[in-house]
Amino acid sequence: MKPFIEFCHVDRKYRMGENDFFALKDVNLEIYEGEMIVILGPSGAGKSTLLNLLGGMDSPTSGSILFNGHDISRFKDDELTAYRAWNVGVVFQFYNLIPTLTAYENVALMKDVRKNVKRGSVWEAENKDMSLLDPKEALISVGLSEHINQFPSQMSGGEQQRTSIARALAKNPRLLLCDEPTGALDTKTGREVLKLLQDMSREKKHTVVMVTHNSFFADIADRVIRVKNGTIESVEINDSPKDASEVSW
Amino acid sequence: MLFRKMRRDLLVSKVQFLSIFLMSLLGIFVFTGLDSECSGMRVNEGRFYEETALADLWAQGIAFRESDIGKAEFIPNIEKAELRLKLNGKARLRGEELDLSTLFLDGNEISKLYLTEGEPYVKGESGVWLDFSFMKRQGLKTGDKLSMKVNGIIFEQEIKGAVYHPEYVYFLPDAAAMMPDYGAYGAAFMDIKAFPDKRHVYYNQMVLDVKDVDNTDGLSDEEKNQCSKAALEVKYALGSDSVIVTDKDSDLSYQTFRAEIEQHSSMTFIFPAVFLLIAILGIITTMTRMTSRQRVQIGTLKALGFTKKTITRHYASYGFFLSLFGGITGAVAGHFTIAEYILSMMDTTYLVPGMGTAFSAKSYLAIAFSVLTSSLVSFMSCRKELAPAPAETLRPAAPKNLKHSLIEKSRLWERLDFAVQWNLRDILRNKVRSLMGVIGVLGCAMLMFGAFACLDTVSFITTWMYGELNTSQFQIIMKEGCPYSTTEEYAKRYRGQMVEQSPAEFEAYGKKKTGTVTVYDTGNFLHFQDKDLKPLKPDEESISMSYKMAQTLGVSEGDLVRWHLVGDNDWKILRIGGIYRNPVSQGITMTRKVFESLRFDFVPTTIYTNHTPQEKLQDDTNITGTQSLPEMMKALDAMKEMMYVMVYIMIAAAAVLGVVVLYNLGVLSLVEKNREMATLKVLGFTTAKIRRILQSQNIWLTLVGIALGIPCGMWLINVLFSTMPESMDYVASYQLLSYIYTITGTLLLSMGVNRLLSRKVKTVDMVDALKGQE
Repeated sequence: MKPFIEFCHVDRKYRMGENDFFALKDVNLEIYEGEMIVILGPSGAGKSTLLNLLGGMDSPTSGSILFNGHDISRFKDDELTAYRAWNVGVVFQFYNLIPTLTAYENVALMKDVRKNVKRGSVWEAENKDMSLLDPKEALISVGLSEHINQFPSQMSGGEQQRTSIARALAKNPRLLLCDEPTGALDTKTGREVLKLLQDMSREKKHTVVMVTHNSFFADIADRVIRVKNGTIESVEINDSPKDASEVSW
Repeated sequence: MLFRKMRRDLLVSKVQFLSIFLMSLLGIFVFTGLDSECSGMRVNEGRFYEETALADLWAQGIAFRESDIGKAEFIPNIEKAELRLKLNGKARLRGEELDLSTLFLDGNEISKLYLTEGEPYVKGESGVWLDFSFMKRQGLKTGDKLSMKVNGIIFEQEIKGAVYHPEYVYFLPDAAAMMPDYGAYGAAFMDIKAFPDKRHVYYNQMVLDVKDVDNTDGLSDEEKNQCSKAALEVKYALGSDSVIVTDKDSDLSYQTFRAEIEQHSSMTFIFPAVFLLIAILGIITTMTRMTSRQRVQIGTLKALGFTKKTITRHYASYGFFLSLFGGITGAVAGHFTIAEYILSMMDTTYLVPGMGTAFSAKSYLAIAFSVLTSSLVSFMSCRKELAPAPAETLRPAAPKNLKHSLIEKSRLWERLDFAVQWNLRDILRNKVRSLMGVIGVLGCAMLMFGAFACLDTVSFITTWMYGELNTSQFQIIMKEGCPYSTTEEYAKRYRGQMVEQSPAEFEAYGKKKTGTVTVYDTGNFLHFQDKDLKPLKPDEESISMSYKMAQTLGVSEGDLVRWHLVGDNDWKILRIGGIYRNPVSQGITMTRKVFESLRFDFVPTTIYTNHTPQEKLQDDTNITGTQSLPEMMKALDAMKEMMYVMVYIMIAAAAVLGVVVLYNLGVLSLVEKNREMATLKVLGFTTAKIRRILQSQNIWLTLVGIALGIPCGMWLINVLFSTMPESMDYVASYQLLSYIYTITGTLLLSMGVNRLLSRKVKTVDMVDALKGQE
């Protein structure tokens, strides 16, 4: 099977004073469509950098990242914006909701995202359904039917994270990126969120990539990628992933 | 959704945004207010002058003949010419004699009568047309008979109508008057056939219409050129050097009205500029802080796929909508309040029919300018957060790389009190915010000082004019042509000082200007002051020139000036022996001895005295009238009244400016310093001590603002006075009390706002403020 995303000799270095610091060094990686991937590693291992590169939020210093055969590492600013607008949904550790917008409005914001943004070369040849989900349906699908008109400050952490997931899902993205999605949640709520993400992958066939330092999450992934010191330490295939509701930490 | 986000962000930081809104509103409010009034005057001036075909040139002489018309009209540049006789007369009403400027016409093609009531003027027909204000105030009607006195002859004419006249938009009863009081005196227009002395009919004025010179919006350089060429030719054609030909710029009525329009026009930009500057500074501080607070939100929007353009547009829209709504509200309010109000006051100073406000394109441009700058400034403020990749913007900003300022490195620093150190650092690290505070206070002090200085100047001009330069209690104005012996007799009887004031033309370095020659006999009522207002004993062997005239002609003490009296073709060349200042009369002055040594006859026009003139003097055929000091000063009341209104507006604007800017900044800095204040509280600082620290910073900034604002106020007043007509020379005056009022007023305002704000220190929650930053 042809990989959906492919990292080829990717480096990402930052200049720190006089020295160069490699956040990622010679990373080679393949991700297949519909997979649920968990990227594991300690703090500073390069997990978030990997996620940022996947999401088109940053560009590699060298190497190439192929998304559906297109090299996004060569993309210009506006092409990357189009890539993010049409393909990627992001769930952040601290939810990153707009505090002055209600849950519904935060999700409906996605309607504005694609205005004036061309679909771009990535999808031009394909005839995929890229239409946005109805914000209300997206919120109902994450179990927030009762919080539609609440502001983030009126919701619990779990509810805010669900809103964040609903916002990501509303785009109907083929790639859902999650940066420590349960990092700010208690175990019970965290498990619910994980379940939601797993369902997205299993039922809706979204490709879900989750970054975490919590090794318990390895059990629910189709594949586990371990990162250490900016390099891929190992890639493990999980033949029988656990259901998210069974995981405990 | 982004629009909703903007709306709610505005609500969250309502104090800051409200102040930006208010400043944009105030800026456009004042601009449109003044501009609509100014445009109203400009439009109506042009329309009125065009409709009535105001003359382009005036030739003054002793006696023109009808054949002179042919000579003038033969000149290719001259379209038309008309003769007339202009004399100062009296209207005799209810036993009183009121000043009446009389114009005997020989046609109505140039400077036409603008009829508002009654029947139109027909050449050769009898009757008198009176100026509208005089008719109204004196309760006269068409069909009434009006008794008048001209050249000592009493005669009667039936009132045929009420009119406006383009040469009588602004006019004064005599040279001593400073402000108009229409209706107390008037203007009468009659056909030359109505002139009472049938055997001695003559013309002393010719009005001319120059080709290709229109009447709208002042004289262009080309028109001026055309007029001066035509003036030379007229002078040559009329064959007399004694004929003085002047253009519209030398006409008191035209020039005063134009100068008023220009003066208002220049004010149009000064005041709004202050408000707009504050609005811009407000946007810079508020938006920079908001975008840096929303850094992660901006990163999120970028990560979600919003284009830079969309995000930029979103943040620029804050400034855009605030200034747009502020501007529109301000424009509408300004047009219907300030403009209407000032114009209604102008109505009493300038006699132009149907004066109304006019919304000009400039107001639209001002709104557009305000909206554009505000949007641009908003955009610039958020640009910093937009540049990096989303991954970077999503991370919290790296702490500012703080450097020690020069003062912190100096030895003095160690000796400073903690509060002083803390405040100095805060000011240096928040330069824009501090600058905005200083500019706000500066604007407030400038307006306040300007307002008080306006009052000082007006009361100073009164005492200067009637207490220092002229110390007499009464003026007896002699009739034109009264023999010298008679005048001398009166002067002896009233122990007065005889003075002759005659119109003259001056020339130096190719520039020509008309003005007044003042010749004084021995006596102690007329005094002079040099350009620094120190008492001046004029050179008894030579002439002295007024400061404003010397400036207009570009001459100074020791230079030569060429001049001649109106009606006399004998040009004299004399060296200027001194420079003196006079607020209302510009020209030259000399002693009777010098005047007579130039082979002129001394013909006094006025006697200055301290003895009360007898009642019966009013009926004396040798005398035009008498004026007492209170009467002369009363004419200034109208001007004072107008000045008071200006002063109130300026003080109110100053207060709004001061309060809005200081309160906005105070709230901003409180929000920012919340953590620091909580830390200080945790460390054991009392609320009172923290309040004092905050207050002292505000007091410093206020003091700096005041120190800079007062000189700016002086500058403002000088700018306003520099736009006065050429005949006026106002010296700005600043009394000690004005300094005191400005300093205490501004300080009190600042302290009041401080008090209001420092109450909030009490509410700083130590636990809440010191929680981790997300």
